[in-house]
Amino acid sequence: MARLGRIRAQSEEDTELNMVPIMNMFMVLIPFLLMSASFYQIKAINTSVPVHADTYVDNPSNHEKEKITVVLQLKEKEIRISGLSETPNDLFLSDLKTVISRQSDSEASMDELVDFLRALKSRYPASDTLILIPDEEVLYREIVQTMDNARDYETERLFPNIVLSGSLG
Amino acid sequence: MDMFTIILIFLLFSFSEHPEDLKLDKDLELPSSTSKGEYQETIKIVLSQKELRLNDKVMATVQGRQITGLANDDLENSSLFHGLKAFRIESEKPENGQEPPTHVLFLCDKSHSFQTINRVIKTAGLAGYPNFQFAVLEE
Repeated sequence: MARLGRIRAQSEEDTELNMVPIMNMFMVLIPFLLMSASFYQIKAINTSVPVHADTYVDNPSNHEKEKITVVLQLKEKEIRISGLSETPNDLFLSDLKTVISRQSDSEASMDELVDFLRALKSRYPASDTLILIPDEEVLYREIVQTMDNARDYETERLFPNIVLSGSLG
Repeated sequence: MDMFTIILIFLLFSFSEHPEDLKLDKDLELPSSTSKGEYQETIKIVLSQKELRLNDKVMATVQGRQITGLANDDLENSSLFHGLKAFRIESEKPENGQEPPTHVLFLCDKSHSFQTINRVIKTAGLAGYPNFQFAVLEE
């Protein structure tokens, strides 16, 4: 009986894993991963300031091909949206004007903005440019939030080319 | 062993392709964004709560909404303009053998108003850099 117990104990000893090589591997991996670790992820938003250009689209046949440029004025209390056509004979699109009231960090006004931009995008699918004109008092984080909402909605691309401009006058 | 496994998994999730490229100062809080765009390290303008830097060189100090030495009506006489212009001339020299940078990476504190930011981006535009990448924190 005692012999049987000894044999069992011996076989248990034999099956125990040798953890030393695994621990050594961990000791090598951890400093390497610590050096490569980033505790914040930095991303980028591409934008530009206005530059002079002389490009016009001649006589677009329909809305499918017609390109408009959305002008979004970000004010303290409201968002004004209008559209500029790239055809010289119809520069200002009066039917595209709207005003959305906003309070700082308000989700509701941003939702309303997204709905309007989605409607514009479905009407002019070839359009991809938006000129963002913030008021002087508007904070940078609000500008970034507006850019996020104007750029895309879930997987749908709205107006990814955003030009940041100061207001005239 | 269990502790090692937990640490390893945590570090694997924190793994980044370029972890040391951008160091954020204590007085610089980037806004968060849904953007997934990757930044390219190029000319770097940092506008923190206290100072304005071009590639780690202090160009001006910031006091509230004012950036000293960056007057709205005299942007082309600012040290930022001269610094960018010098960088542009240097990078466009053919002996460099590299493509000159086309955009500026802009790291700006989220609490700044557009009035303050606009002076910096206008100056960069005047110096020949109208394209920007705004650095943001991933949401």
